[in-house]
Amino acid sequence: MSETKEFKRPGGELSNRPLHFIWVVDCSGSMHGEKIGKVNHAIQSTIPEMADAARNNPYAELLIRTLKFSSGAQWVTPEPVNVDNFCWSDLEAGGVTDMGNAFDLISSQLTIPPMSDRALPPVLVLISDGQPTDDYKTALDKLLALPWGKKSVRIAISIGQDADVSILNEFTGNRDLVLQANNSADLVKMIKWASTAAAVVSAPATPDSTTVAGGAGGSNSSPIIFDINNIPVPEESDPDDINVW
Amino acid sequence: MEGFIKKNTELISECSNKYRVVKLLGSGGQGEVYEVGLLSAEGEITSLFALKWYFKNNATEAQMSILENLISRGSPADVFLWPLELVHDSRFTSTGDFGYIMPLRPNNFKGIVDLMKCRVSPTFVALSRTAFNLTLGYEKLHGMGLAYNDISFGNLFFNPENGAALICDNDNVTAGGRVSVNGTPRFMAPEIVRGEAQPSRNTDLFSLAVLLFYLFMVHHPLEGALEAKIKALDIYAMEKLYGRKPVFIFDPDNESNRPVKGYHDNAIIYWDIFPKRIKDLFIESFTVGIEHPERRVTERRWLDAIINLLFGVVKCSCKSEVFYDDDLAADGVGTTCWNCGKEIPPVTKIVIGKSRALLMKDTKLYRHHIAGNFELTEAVASVTQNPNNPNQWGLRNESGAEWTYIGVDGSRTPVAVGKSALIAKGAKIDFGEQVGEI
Repeated sequence: MSETKEFKRPGGELSNRPLHFIWVVDCSGSMHGEKIGKVNHAIQSTIPEMADAARNNPYAELLIRTLKFSSGAQWVTPEPVNVDNFCWSDLEAGGVTDMGNAFDLISSQLTIPPMSDRALPPVLVLISDGQPTDDYKTALDKLLALPWGKKSVRIAISIGQDADVSILNEFTGNRDLVLQANNSADLVKMIKWASTAAAVVSAPATPDSTTVAGGAGGSNSSPIIFDINNIPVPEESDPDDINVW
Repeated sequence: MEGFIKKNTELISECSNKYRVVKLLGSGGQGEVYEVGLLSAEGEITSLFALKWYFKNNATEAQMSILENLISRGSPADVFLWPLELVHDSRFTSTGDFGYIMPLRPNNFKGIVDLMKCRVSPTFVALSRTAFNLTLGYEKLHGMGLAYNDISFGNLFFNPENGAALICDNDNVTAGGRVSVNGTPRFMAPEIVRGEAQPSRNTDLFSLAVLLFYLFMVHHPLEGALEAKIKALDIYAMEKLYGRKPVFIFDPDNESNRPVKGYHDNAIIYWDIFPKRIKDLFIESFTVGIEHPERRVTERRWLDAIINLLFGVVKCSCKSEVFYDDDLAADGVGTTCWNCGKEIPPVTKIVIGKSRALLMKDTKLYRHHIAGNFELTEAVASVTQNPNNPNQWGLRNESGAEWTYIGVDGSRTPVAVGKSALIAKGAKIDFGEQVGEI
């Protein structure tokens, strides 16, 4: 529309900061079949909503990446991609659960460089259904010792009842940010909720009685305030259905 | 996308109006907003409205009583998409759930985020109009003894073509008492960020100053060197920047937070374009106004300054809009174009009370100029060319009442409605309520 105008104000867009958002997906053998299919579907359908939200967020440049782990870990998206250009690549499952390997790869990206020295806290969303088969502990400690690791906002989605919740708790540093998805409707809701962390990080609310602080806890961490009323609650499931996906 | 209420659902309002859900418009923290059609007795949609429907946790009795109060008081001004009536129809929704009807926002209105992201490109005049319309809206709201409590990007819209503005999400507006929101990060007054105060009329004034700064400078007034130094802009960093240690980027007595080239370019570019009077109000807002909530710049002072912006725009020969700076002129310094650097030729102006308007071809003066009432819709005078002498310009009386022209020599001549008074330096016009000096 500016071509038709004879006058244009000077200046550019409001200055913003990069916001790195990383999907970390367990692709071990137990995720094979419908489970990984549902994760693929849920994340893919959340991306347009993330892009919409990013268009209304003047404070952040939302950059997305996907990391998968099974036997070893691998970046599906090697470089951070602007949410407008991000396409979900379907993941396939098979192999063991080298979660520590995934943490190592994240650590290598949250170091400056390649990480810029001026950003919003990164958001890490871990989706897993099982127990790590490698030494996750050393890798997680290393990640959480990094300045950007400490500042990151970490959410975990546990699929079914087999995931080791205590390990996911260690990852998020906050029980409330470990979400339990018992069926595919839960999964969609929780992935969608986790995706809104991007907006919450760029304009964090001040705490009050109905909120919960995310992050590792302690004075060096980066708490992010979520509205506890909106954290999705898993649906009541028939115990027999827990593993029926 | 489907919302909680399905398309084509018919709902009966508290005033027994029947509405049909057309589509879901959006979803926010508190609830969902739908486009709904008001139905005639025959079941035809006669006009469109918006319906906000609260999520269960937000459909509280406190919210209901706020809305009932707002509906019974009525809208402070046209700029508000004010709640019109309540809807709690238990046939389609769980008991206790409710929503409210408000006017629908027309499509040609854009969000302020569109301005921040350069998706729209209004002129300085249109932008000043938007600033005027919004400030006047909040002034009227405060005049009713109410506080908005959450002035921020998300609940404002504007028409980039003509500067018309809309204020929505009026359901947090309160008349004292407990406020259900804290406001929006970056817009909240420092005392709220520090947890020492609740939103109020005085914190609205801080948020308004932030909003005006964003509109004009496309930048936040507290984001300078201190922001650039921060690596991770997390909640602790933000609490310090906007709450515990706020420093205005152009604080004349504290240079520690000046904008940094490369990070804060808009602030550097725009600050020099605006005249001293509006900049002085920003300085006051973010120095004295940070420390003393009760001494913040009031809407009327903003309105006077914004009106002088609106009636002080000169088109340079390079087609850029340039703001006339009265203080520079008083010091005998000409205004130069920010774009091409050329000096703007002297322009005739009229000063009436607190108002100053440049008199150029096509200039109109409004009721505000002669009555000081912030009424900018009804024109009372137009600059005209003498048909018998094209070198002579005059101010035509369109006010409905006779004026008196006081010539440079002190002679007094009546100016009937429809007649024009010669624009001559040193001449005066007695408009009845106020005298203007050319």
